[in-house]
Amino acid sequence: MSSLVFEGREVPVLEGDTVASSLYRAGVRTFTRSLKYHRRRSLYCGTGECPNCLVTVDGVPGVRSCVTPAREGMHVERTHGWPSTERDLLHVTDSLHRLLPVGFYYKTFIRPRFAWSLAERVIRRATGLGRLPEEGALGTPTARHLRTEVLIVGAGAAGLGAALDAARAGERVVVCDEAPIGSRLAPGPTLDRVRALEAEVRALAEVQVLDRHAALGVYEGPSVPLAAEDELVQVRAERIVVATGATQTHPVFPGNDLPGIWLGRAASRMVAQNHVPIGERVVVAASTEEGLEHLSALVAAGANIVAAVVPSSVRGEVPDSVATIVDGRVTSAEGRRQVAAVFVGSSEGTRRISCDALVLCLGLAPRDALARMAVDEAVEVIGDAALGEQEPHMHEDGMLCLCEDVSLHDIRQAWDEGYRSSEILKRYTTATMGPCQGAMCGTALACVARDLADSSGMPARRAGTRTTSRPPARPVPLETLAAAVHEVIEKRTSLHEVHEAAGARLDWSGGWKRPFGYGDRREEYRAVRERVGLMDVGTLGKFLVAGTDAATLVDRMFPTRVRDLEPGRSRYLLSLDEAGYVLDDGLICALDDGDFYLTSTSGGAGRMDARLREWADLLGLHVHLLDRTAELGAINVAGPLARKVLEPLCNDPLDADAFPYPGHREIVVAGVPCRAIRTGFVGELAFELHHPRSRGPELWAALMRGGWAFDILPHGLDALELLRLEKGHLYLGQDTMPDDTPAKLGLSWAVDIGKGWFVGKPALERMASLPASRRLVGLGFDGGPEDTAELRGMPITLDGAVVGRVTSAERSIVLDRAIGLGWIRSAGDGFPTELRAGTAAARVEPTPFYDPEGVRVRG
Amino acid sequence: MVAVLADEAGCDRVTDLPGACRVSPTEVMILGDASVEVLERAVRGDDPDAVVLDVSDGWALVPLEGPGARDAFTRLSELELPASGFVLGEVARIGARVLVRRGGIDLLVPAMLESHLRERIRRDCRGLVP
Repeated sequence: MSSLVFEGREVPVLEGDTVASSLYRAGVRTFTRSLKYHRRRSLYCGTGECPNCLVTVDGVPGVRSCVTPAREGMHVERTHGWPSTERDLLHVTDSLHRLLPVGFYYKTFIRPRFAWSLAERVIRRATGLGRLPEEGALGTPTARHLRTEVLIVGAGAAGLGAALDAARAGERVVVCDEAPIGSRLAPGPTLDRVRALEAEVRALAEVQVLDRHAALGVYEGPSVPLAAEDELVQVRAERIVVATGATQTHPVFPGNDLPGIWLGRAASRMVAQNHVPIGERVVVAASTEEGLEHLSALVAAGANIVAAVVPSSVRGEVPDSVATIVDGRVTSAEGRRQVAAVFVGSSEGTRRISCDALVLCLGLAPRDALARMAVDEAVEVIGDAALGEQEPHMHEDGMLCLCEDVSLHDIRQAWDEGYRSSEILKRYTTATMGPCQGAMCGTALACVARDLADSSGMPARRAGTRTTSRPPARPVPLETLAAAVHEVIEKRTSLHEVHEAAGARLDWSGGWKRPFGYGDRREEYRAVRERVGLMDVGTLGKFLVAGTDAATLVDRMFPTRVRDLEPGRSRYLLSLDEAGYVLDDGLICALDDGDFYLTSTSGGAGRMDARLREWADLLGLHVHLLDRTAELGAINVAGPLARKVLEPLCNDPLDADAFPYPGHREIVVAGVPCRAIRTGFVGELAFELHHPRSRGPELWAALMRGGWAFDILPHGLDALELLRLEKGHLYLGQDTMPDDTPAKLGLSWAVDIGKGWFVGKPALERMASLPASRRLVGLGFDGGPEDTAELRGMPITLDGAVVGRVTSAERSIVLDRAIGLGWIRSAGDGFPTELRAGTAAARVEPTPFYDPEGVRVRG
Repeated sequence: MVAVLADEAGCDRVTDLPGACRVSPTEVMILGDASVEVLERAVRGDDPDAVVLDVSDGWALVPLEGPGARDAFTRLSELELPASGFVLGEVARIGARVLVRRGGIDLLVPAMLESHLRERIRRDCRGLVP
């Protein structure tokens, strides 16, 4: 015989057992404690709706034990209550019920403000909702997509019947159900019918059955995500049939949440399917045909039914051996650890009946959450899910919302406080907001609100609507939801493996995995400043703009002066949005035939491509745009000896006269065709070689070989950070903010404001008359932390008041002092120049810090 | 692989060529061996500005082979596949070009994303494709 481990002891598991049935057979009666008042809770609905049976299974909290098959070796624990679920000292809160009215937390912990942060932790622990595993995701579910003509949610008799009809009409059908088909039905005629339909459906090729797949919601499309243990299936269907059936109504009366009170389906399954008696003296209150089926099943299984409370219309269908109370009404139940007696009112007065189990079958509530989500979608509701709203059995008081411990009294009190519709009663009391998401209490809340509105002379229809239904309709682990979206897309240059082989530290930058360093940042830096260095810049955005109107497009889209850009020359390029804010930067190279080759930042390539296309369309220009980012790699060869490395590898003239800065040429390096661009980002003589991606490793190897005699080294982004900062070049994003104009960044020189209209020009003109409020400046630091990384992000102060922030800071190797960039605000009469950043004195300095005349770049 | 960027009339001239996939009204992608010069001659009569470029380096071709190819594809994309032919859309959250042929599906993705797509196939399509 197999067994599971329940709080350290072995519990036998029999064929067909759920976790709940095996525990109940082993004598467990208290499964949980309620959320606020820590009332004992035991098995109730048996269909995975209510919160009463939630346990932790193998470290996963919130598992519905009544619908979870028991498996050999699983570890089950209860998490509610302190110090234990059985002996819960927090049960004292139940005695203080009147002192903890609805809204207690909102009213009590609002002052002083810090009280809530303390109280929140205590309250959270007291709820006993368990702890999420800290080891990360429990599994890695996959996501897949499915298209079909008909999706039928719910594989009961109605759903399977609809599947047969649709398949016979020639439609492709998917039928899903959150449980194995029929597994939640007690033996009886309904189960027999479902089994017969299942056999027919499974025989049809047009029907795909996805049991153990719970529908989470209905989205536009219509589209329905189905969650299973190991996958998330996104189904797109032409039409959806909701056949999710109905739950048994949750009657409300004093004592209605005592252990030993069952809904009919749970009791019937426990007795007839799992062969576990639910009590020695059982009272059944049944008003439906299904209720009589359950009564019969209990009798057949040998349960001792001491009384059946039934309407007179069905009295004849009650087995003779059972004493009946006709047209009675359960008015309350009493008991301490579990139900000990039930009070039944009838025309003959109120009777107290001793019992240890009460089974309730007093109507159905449609399980229509999905149908109510489907606004304007092709959704049909059939079977019990289409039942109209039935007023649940409610008497005086009792727990209306089992999940959140909200009583009928609480609802009435909230109403008296002015919360006068079901929607705001929900928000104030949290009724319907627990694990069942209103499946048990949604109808009751609406009915109470209607009754209260009626008695207050308000329009009842408006006050008492069902609250909005939102996904997820069924509980779903976060990792299952993440299966569809948790995806990090890693871009790699063609040199990725080369960098790995060289021992580079690769990390994220602008959506790419890029080398940050190869082991010795200082040496990498020195190579560029003193000899020659290589950097993989294949991540840059690269675009071809061709066609008759190419010049017009770049002229109007960018503030840069491009009309006078001769073929072979290049220029710094700013990209602005319509508000005049800087979006991106790069280079523009004029090609022969009036075409242009553009570069953008690595992270901005996608946006650049989209904006080029958008503006070409908006302006109605005849251009052809090609994003060449993926197709072309790029290697920057930089340093005073860069030319000496390249010259032996190519036959093209590279001297400053033949190939001046800033310019570009098509050259062949080591047999690889390249577009070489003279760049100046690192502040040295540099050639950026744009080449066919597939030739990247070959070109890199040739350059490394050619540079060997000059002690060439590859460098990463860490060395680049200092190289560019010494030149005072900014990093978009790191040194900028979303509302930066070129003027704030000191880039007005890159804007030809005198030319005709361009994107952002009207905004720049409007702002030109405004006084400058802040700007990015170069900073020199004295004193302060040895590690300049500590300066990054540090507030900049003037006489103790914060006036800005350091955005970049490094200890310059060539200058042997700390430098940086940062924002400062105007002090009214101009921008201050002597400031502080923490313990460091910060002095505003002109940039570039290094080679301000640009002699080395032009070399 | 050759990209042809031309106005609609120019693109129409090459759309019926073997391996031609109409990416948009003004772009045709030619898969397989194609002469840039021949294509230029074909389209420049209608559009003298047409751009014809060999862009093979920009794309990675990742095939899904065998009977499980379509099931594998559903784990990567919500695109509805035709019985055969060419569709554009998102595969493994990447903008991709998809060619359905007898016995398999060819996925064309930007070259810098090839490793991502292969990793997704390895992780999510185990047992469905070789």
